[in-house]
Amino acid sequence: MTNAPMIDLRDTTKKYADGPPALAGVTLSVAAGECVAILGHSGSGKSTLLNLIAGLDKPSSGTVTVDGTRVDQLGEADSARYRRASIGMVFQFFNLLDDLTVLDNVMVPAQLAGIGKREAKERAVELLESLGIDRHVKAYPQRLSGGERQRVAVARALMNEPALLLADEPTGALDSSSAEDVRELLLDLNSDGQTILLVTHDVQLAASTAGRTIELVDGAVARDVANTVSGITVNGSAGAVR
Amino acid sequence: MSALGKVVRSGVGRRRIQSLVMALTTFAAVTSSVLSLGLLAVVQAPFDHAFGARNGAHLAVQFDGSKATATQAAATAHAAGVTEAAGPYPVAAALDTTIGADCSTKDWAGHDNGPLTVTTRPDLGSASGMDQLALTQGRWPTGPGEIALPWQHFAADCFGGSVVFSSLPGKPSYLVVGFGGSVTDSATAFATADGFARLTAAGATSDVQMLYRFAKAGTDADIATDKQAVAAAAPAGSVEAGQSYLTAEQQATGNAKAYVPFLIAFGILGLFMSVLIISIVVSGAVASGIRRIGILKSLGFTPSQVARAYTAQAMIPATLGLLLGTGFGNLLAVPILDGATKQLGAAGATIPLWVSAVVPLGTLLIVGVTALIPALRAGRMPTVRALAVGRAPEAGGGRAAQRLASRLPLPRAVSLGLAQPFARPARAVLVGAAVLFGVVSATFAVGLESGFNRYLDTSTSGFNVASKFVIPTADVGVPWDLYGPNDPRNPHLDAAKVAAALAGIPGTKTAFGWGDSGATMVGAPPGGEPPKVFTVTGDFSWTHLELLSGRWYSAPGEAVVGDKLATTVGIHVGDDVTVVQQNKQLSLKVVGVNFDTNQGDYTVMTDAATFTAAGLTPHIDLFNVELADDVNGSDWSTSAAAALSPLNASVQPSSGGGKNIIVITMGALVATLTLMMIAVAALGVLSTVVQDTRERVHDLGILKALGMTPKQTVAMVLTSVTLTGLIAGLIGVPLGVAVEKATLTPMGNAIGRHLPPSVSHVYTTGLLIPLLAGGIVIALLGALLPAGWAARSRTATALRTE
Repeated sequence: MTNAPMIDLRDTTKKYADGPPALAGVTLSVAAGECVAILGHSGSGKSTLLNLIAGLDKPSSGTVTVDGTRVDQLGEADSARYRRASIGMVFQFFNLLDDLTVLDNVMVPAQLAGIGKREAKERAVELLESLGIDRHVKAYPQRLSGGERQRVAVARALMNEPALLLADEPTGALDSSSAEDVRELLLDLNSDGQTILLVTHDVQLAASTAGRTIELVDGAVARDVANTVSGITVNGSAGAVR
Repeated sequence: MSALGKVVRSGVGRRRIQSLVMALTTFAAVTSSVLSLGLLAVVQAPFDHAFGARNGAHLAVQFDGSKATATQAAATAHAAGVTEAAGPYPVAAALDTTIGADCSTKDWAGHDNGPLTVTTRPDLGSASGMDQLALTQGRWPTGPGEIALPWQHFAADCFGGSVVFSSLPGKPSYLVVGFGGSVTDSATAFATADGFARLTAAGATSDVQMLYRFAKAGTDADIATDKQAVAAAAPAGSVEAGQSYLTAEQQATGNAKAYVPFLIAFGILGLFMSVLIISIVVSGAVASGIRRIGILKSLGFTPSQVARAYTAQAMIPATLGLLLGTGFGNLLAVPILDGATKQLGAAGATIPLWVSAVVPLGTLLIVGVTALIPALRAGRMPTVRALAVGRAPEAGGGRAAQRLASRLPLPRAVSLGLAQPFARPARAVLVGAAVLFGVVSATFAVGLESGFNRYLDTSTSGFNVASKFVIPTADVGVPWDLYGPNDPRNPHLDAAKVAAALAGIPGTKTAFGWGDSGATMVGAPPGGEPPKVFTVTGDFSWTHLELLSGRWYSAPGEAVVGDKLATTVGIHVGDDVTVVQQNKQLSLKVVGVNFDTNQGDYTVMTDAATFTAAGLTPHIDLFNVELADDVNGSDWSTSAAAALSPLNASVQPSSGGGKNIIVITMGALVATLTLMMIAVAALGVLSTVVQDTRERVHDLGILKALGMTPKQTVAMVLTSVTLTGLIAGLIGVPLGVAVEKATLTPMGNAIGRHLPPSVSHVYTTGLLIPLLAGGIVIALLGALLPAGWAARSRTATALRTE
C-alpha cells in the first residue's frame, strides 16, 4: 500500500443545466486497498460521483485524481484508455452484452486493450474459474441467474487487473442469496488487496462489505465513517466532512 | 393545430435527416420520370398523331422505271403482309437544286438547295387515302410551273421564289407556292402532273413509287421483312429504294429521343429507391417509436389516427420532393426539347400538363401505399405490448455470427462490427438494397459517361485528325459549308498540285485530301440531312477512322458507307449503291461500313480516282496534313505558305474538333442524377445506421465504459456496414452493367446509329474494380456521421438508456 491515495477528489462540483448541483464541492480520498461504500438516497449524487471517478463525466470544477491520473483532464480517447487500464466496473443490471458468450464478454476489455486473443482467453478462463462460473463459458448471459451474471460482470471488470473496482449497486437486482454471494465475493477481492468503491443505498451492504462509508446528501458528503464489526465510527482522518 | 397535426409535425421535425432523404429520393425519381415521359410525349406524340391522322405509309418503295412498269409496281399491293397500298405514283429522285435568283433575300439567290425527290399525285391536297399530305404554309401547286415542298427543304426567306433543278438540262425552275409534305417523307417535293412532266421532259428519270401499310410494321426488322415481300412480288432488281416511316420518325424526333432510354432507367431506379427509402424510414420510425405509439394510443389515438400520423410523416417530405422534382424536370426539359420541337416544327418546348400531373400523382400513390403498410402495423399494435416493449431491441439475434467473428484475427472493435448486420438481418438487407441501388446507378452512370466520352472522342478522330489543314485561300475566314457543294462559289483545291507541294515541304509526314463531291445517292432517305458523297485522295489510314465491317476501298468502283446510312437504308457489304452527280449516275460496290460522327448522317466515301474514271468530278476541298515528330508547326506553316500560295491554298491550324452539345448535356444530366442517387443511397444507409445506433446506444455505453475508444467506436460502426456494402457492390456492378447495356444501345438506335465496340464496350478492369469497391464507399459514406455520433455519445447517459 502506498501513501498516495487511490482516489482523490478536491472541491469537486458537478452542475447540470438547471437545478442544484449534483455534487457540491466534494473533497474525499480513498487509500489503495480500501473498500469504501458511497451511501445515499436517489438523487444524492452518488452515481455522479461514480461517473466522475470512472471518467465517464467531467466535473464542473475541482479535481478528480485516480491512481495518480488527473481524470478530469483526460480527453475522450484517454478516458477510454484510463478505464481500460485502471478501472473495473460492475453495474446493478450487469450490463453484459447479450449477443456475446460469457467468455467473450469477459474477454472484451482485454481485447479492446489490444491484448492477444490467446492471452486474453487464458486470463478470462482463469478468472471465471476463480469465481466459480467456468462451466458457463460458452453460455449466453440471459441463460444465467442474476448472481451468476453479476459474477461474470465482476470477472469482466477484473480482466485488465484494474487498480480500482467500481461497483454500482451490485446487489440491487439480485435476490438475497445471490446478493450474499456477491457481497462475499467483494469481501474476498478486497481482502486480496483490491481497492473497491461500492455505490449503494443499502446501509446493511455498506456496513457489512466496506471498511468505510461515505454518505452523500444533496451532493455533499454528510458523513464519512469507519465501519467496525459492531457498528460504525466517525472517521476523522480519511475524509473530510463538509 | 389538431392533436394529429402536432404528432405529424413533431415526427417530421424529429426525423429531419430521414425527411430530407425521402424528399431527395422522390425528387430524383420524379425529375427523371417527368423528363423521360415528357420527352416521349413531346417528341413522339406529334409524329404519332400526324401519322395516325394522315394515314401515313409504313413504307414508300421506289421501283426502277426501266425494270418495272407502273402495272407491275401496282401488283405489289397484293404482296404478303400488305394491308393497304397506294400508287403507283411517278417519282424522280435525287435531283440537285439551287435557290432561284428571284429570292427576295439576295444572299440566298443561287445557293445550293440540296437534292429533292419529286412526285405527283392526282389530288395533292386529298384528305382521304394513304399518306395524306399536309400543308403548313401557302397552297398546293395548281400549274406546271409551281411546286410545294417541306419547309426544311427550302429557305424560308425565299418562300414565293423559285427552286431550280440545276443538274437538269435547261435548269427548269418552279415557283415555291407551298410548304408541306408527307409524314413518311415519301417525297420532298410535290408538283402537278404537268409540272412533273416538265422534269421528265428536261431529262429527269421517272421511276414508280408505291406506298404500303403492313399488318406488322413495329420494328426495323418488320419493315425489312415487309420490304423483302414487296421486292419478291416485283420484277427482280426493280426495287431501288424504300423509305420507312421509322426513319422518318427518327428524323422528326431528332436527338431528343436519345435522352429517353437513360431517363427511363433513372426514373425506374429512382422510383425503386423511393419505395425502399420510404419503407426504411417509416418502418424505422415505427420500430424505434413503439413506446411512443403505445403512449399515443393510451392517450386515445385510434389505430386509424396512428396509421395516418405515420403515413403523413413520410408523405410531407415526399410531396415536397415530388413538387420540386416536377418543377425541375420541366425546367430541364426546356433546353432539351428546344431542338426537338424545332425539328418537328412544333410551337412549344414544354412538357405537357398531363405529364406534370400524372407523374407526381402516380409517385404520390406509390409512396403513400409504401408508407401505409408499416403505418398500419403501427396502428394495429396493441397498446399494452407497445408500452411494455418500448424501444429495447430484442436480444439474441446474430449470436452465431458474433461467435464466428470473435474467432477472426481482427481487432475486437472490427469483429464486433462485422457481426452486427446478422443481429438485424432485415435491416442489413435494407441497407444493402439502398447501397445496391446506389452502386447500380453509379455503375450505370460511369458506363454511360464513359460511352459518351468515347462518342465525343470520335469528334476529334477520323477526318478531324491532323496537325495542319490546307484549304482553298478563298475559304479562309468563310464559315464551313456556307455554300453547298454544288455551288459555283464553293472553291476547290487542285488536288494533284497541292499533294505534290505538300510532299515537297520539309517536315510533311503524310497528307490526304478530301471533299464533298456534291453527288447524292439514289435510295438515300429523302428527309433529314442530304446524303454526302466524299471523294478522297491519298492515304488516310493514319487517322484511324473506324471501320465497323468489311474493308477500306482499294480498287476503282469501290466505296465505304457510313453506319447510319447503312442502317437506315439497309446497305450491306457487297451491295451496290448508285451515286448521282449533275444527273450522271455511277454504281459503286460497298466494301465496308465505317463509323464517323463528324461528317454528316448519311455518307459515302470513295477514291477521287473512281469519280474521275467514271467522268464525274471529284471535289477536294481540304487536305489533312500530319507533320513529322520533330517539326516545329509554325516553321512548317511558313514553308508551306510559300509553296501553297501559288496554288490558292492556305494552311489552317487544327481545330481539335467541335463540341457535341447534346452529348455534353446528357453527360451533365447523368452526372446530376447519379450524384442524387448516390447521395440518396448514402442517406438511406445513414438513416438506417442512425436508427441502429440509437437502438444500440446502451451496448455502446457498455463498450465505452469497458474502454472502447472513440476511434474503436467509429471502426465498429463503419465495419458494421462494410460487409453489406461489399455484397451490394458485388451484386450491383453486374446489374449496373446490364442496365447500361440495355440503355446505350437504344440510345444509339434513337439517333440511328449502331454504336461500335470502341464506344459501347466501356467497362475495363480498371473501371470495374473501383466500381466493385463502390458499395463499400457508399456504405461508409452513409455510416460516417452516425459513427461519429456514436463515438461522441455520452457513456453515462447511454448506460442509463434501456
